[in-house]
Order: sequence, then structure tokens, then C-alpha cells
Amino acid sequence: MSNNLRYFVLFLSFVTIFFIGESMALSFRAKSYEAKNLVVRLTTLPDLTLSTEAKYIRHRSLSDIGSVFSEDPEGISYFATTFVYAPSNVLNIIPNKIIKAK
Amino acid sequence: MKRFFNILLFEYALSSLKRRGGKNIFIFFIFFLLIFLLSSIFFIANSIKYELRHTLKSLPDITLQKLQAGREQNIDISRVDKIATIEGVSEVTPRVWGYYYFKNAGANFSIVGVDRFTPSYKKSIQKVVDKFDSTIFDKNDTMVVGAGVKKILEKNYYSKYFNFIKPNGDFKRVYIAGTFKGTTALESNDIILLSAQNVREIFGLSEDKATDITLRVPNPKEIPTVAKKLIEMFPDCRAITKSDLKISYENIIDYKSGIFLAIFIIALFTFFIIIYDKASGLSSDEKREIGIQKAVGWKISDILLQKGYEAFIISFVSFFSAITFAIFYVYFLDAPMLKSIFTGYSILKPPFKLPFVLDFQTIVLIFFATVPLYLAATIIPSWFAATLEADEVIR
Repeated sequence: MSNNLRYFVLFLSFVTIFFIGESMALSFRAKSYEAKNLVVRLTTLPDLTLSTEAKYIRHRSLSDIGSVFSEDPEGISYFATTFVYAPSNVLNIIPNKIIKAK
Repeated sequence: MKRFFNILLFEYALSSLKRRGGKNIFIFFIFFLLIFLLSSIFFIANSIKYELRHTLKSLPDITLQKLQAGREQNIDISRVDKIATIEGVSEVTPRVWGYYYFKNAGANFSIVGVDRFTPSYKKSIQKVVDKFDSTIFDKNDTMVVGAGVKKILEKNYYSKYFNFIKPNGDFKRVYIAGTFKGTTALESNDIILLSAQNVREIFGLSEDKATDITLRVPNPKEIPTVAKKLIEMFPDCRAITKSDLKISYENIIDYKSGIFLAIFIIALFTFFIIIYDKASGLSSDEKREIGIQKAVGWKISDILLQKGYEAFIISFVSFFSAITFAIFYVYFLDAPMLKSIFTGYSILKPPFKLPFVLDFQTIVLIFFATVPLYLAATIIPSWFAATLEADEVIR
């Protein structure tokens, strides 16, 4: 067996072991949906709490069904939740003039 | 078997790859990055879809909402009795819920009212709530909050109770009885669960009104008929079925991954350019090598096999390692950066682990969209060169 082949086999077995290891570790991860389903049953709100900044956000029924571009919490392009980044935390609700007056 | 796998040729292919190391490492890297990004996006989209699909079945089958001038309005509770007469409906519940904007933190809480804490509710609440104190629960003004709400309230010095501001400006003090378990954060992070009576007080909602009405229909085949009957009965309402919600979710997640894929096309084109470059002809060095191989007695099939091995080693190894790394990146590291494309920005963002779903369909799709293409782009030009006369190629 040449050195090249040896290194190749070594690399491939490393990746394989890594793949099997991570797949096994993940499949052992608890996949219980009982508690989650109970919460959904209690609250009857279907949406995930990913974006919570708009009035229609926790229930898709408050926006148009199936429409992506109109008033949709996760789809619209003009609302803050669409963006990956948060608005600046140095932005202040007190107008600049008032801060300067102090 | 021996015809397809020749260990000596394989070793030769490896050393040939090593000879043009720089170029091959570059192709490996591009290939790896492409498949890694593509599979990561698919993995995240699949996991979020999986999460939604699993919790969707606990939702009411139909939600009835009253519309006026295109906006949602509160619905009369008297309609509940009428709806209960429809055959096939097993449960009709008027819901009282809404959003409460907490100015200090700039966050919206979702307030949900349940009809006093009946024993059946208590039982399910006990299962999903941490630090549960059943004695405090018997008091009237108590609530169960999501982990995110609890954190924000504590930051604002409300560790035991919270003062809601009623529409008339008065305060309504409600004590925290428990927090939803951390594992349910994706569903409960922004929730405040109160008795319906308290919610009415906080929102200024009269006793004869509800936000909307939910129905349970045990036979799924009857759902469209019941929805139709509801709309005929109340023309000012709209009935939203569970399947409507499911479709709209899938649209949104597909839209999100679609936007990313549209941007990703640029990267895909880069890959195709590399392949085009490879397919449009071999370099003179490679041609000469093939000529010499032929001159020393290699058969066309040997040359093709060796080239096939080379292409397969690069494409398969990069594919396999990219998928392996993508799983690690998405499920162990929780997909930093890429997850944000799907989740967006929010003040009350829940920490969550993506559920592990290995979608073989996607993996096979990515495999067939990349690996055979690369194999073909290597073998076809080699075949052109190998079929020529040796002296012609060397010249």
C-alpha cells in the first residue's frame, strides 16, 4: 500500500467515523414532542415564537393565508423581523434635541 | 468487480491528483463549500418544517374569525351555541387572546386566556410548567409565563408579579405562578397564560365577546364541509382550517430557503464555470500525459478508469465531508449565521435546538446534482483525448 493510499484511507475513515458518531449522538437526542404539543394545545397558537414583533405574528390567520408578500410576519421585506440584524441599540426614543438640551 | 476497481490504477489516480495538488485542492474546496452551504440550508428548512408539522396536529381543526372592513373583529359568544348544532363538531371554544406591548422592553407578549383553571387544564399545565406552585394557582390573579417573558420581566424588576396597564390606565397586578419548561421555548417563549376573566379585564373585552372561536372536528374528512357550513351560517366570518395553516407555513419556509437559493445561484454558476473549464478541454499537460500513457501501452478503458477514479475521489470525498460537516454545523453548532436567515430578528428570541431529521431525499438530490456532473465533465474530455492517436496527442 502506497503512502498516498494510506493517507486517503485514513482521511476517509476519519470522516466516516465522524459521520457515524454524530448521527448516533443526534438520534439519541430526546425527540419528545409531548410537552410541546401540550403547550400548543393549551395556547392554541400555531406559530413558533421566532418573530414576535408584529400584531399578526403568533397566528398566521391574522395575515393572509398563503400570501407571502403582503402582511406576512416572516415574509415581508419592509418589516424589521425580515432582517437578520437587530436595529441599533443606540437609537433612542427621546428625540435628539431633548438629549442635547440636557 | 476487478474490471471496475483496480487498486494499482486507483493508487496511480491518487498520485496523479497529488501531482496537480494546488488545482485539485481548489476544486475540492469549492465543491465542499457549495455542497456544505446547499445541504445546510436544506437541513435547517427541513428541521423547522418538522418542528411545525409536529406541533400542528395539536391545534384546533377550524378557527372562525369575524371580519369587518377587512380587519379582524371580536366575535359574539352567542354564536358558539349555533355552531355546536353543526353535526360533526365535537368541541367549540370561544378564545380570548391578544398581544400586550411591554413598552420598557419594546417586546410583544402573547396573552392567552383559558377558562379558569379547570382540573383538566391544571393537569396539562402541571406537565409543562417548571417551578409550579399549585397553591398559588388557586388564587385569582396568577399567570404562567414563557421563559423569554420571565427573563424580560426580571430584567425590569418584576420577579414575582407584573402590573398590566388596563385600557383605562389602571394597573392590574398578576402574580407569576410558574414558567413554561425550557424545552418548549419555541412554542411558549412569549406566552402569558391567564384566566380568561383576567384577560378580558386587561384588554377591556366585554363578557359577550371573544377574540375568535375554535372548533374540533374529529373526522378530518368532514373539516371542509364544516368550514363551508360555518361560512354559510356566518357570511361575515372566515374559517381557517388546519391544512390552510400548514400550506402557509410551507410557503414561508420554502420562500425563505428560495431567497437564499436565488442568491446562491451565483455560487452555483461559479461551480459550473469550473466544470465548463474542465469540460471544454484538457490542458496540454494532461493531453500529453494521456498520449504517453497510450504510447506505453495503456488501453482507452484504463485511461478512462483512471480519470474516473480521480473525479470520483474529488467529488465523492468533498461531498461526503461536506454533508458530515453540515450536520455538525447545523445540529451541534446550531447553524450560526445561516439560522438567522430563517428566524430573523426579534427581541424575544427563544434559544432552541433544531430537531434532527436526516432527509435522504435532499441528500440524494444534492448528490445527483453535483457528483455525476463533475464525473462527466472529467471523463468526456479524457475520452476525446484518449481516442486520438498517441503521436497526435503528444505532438
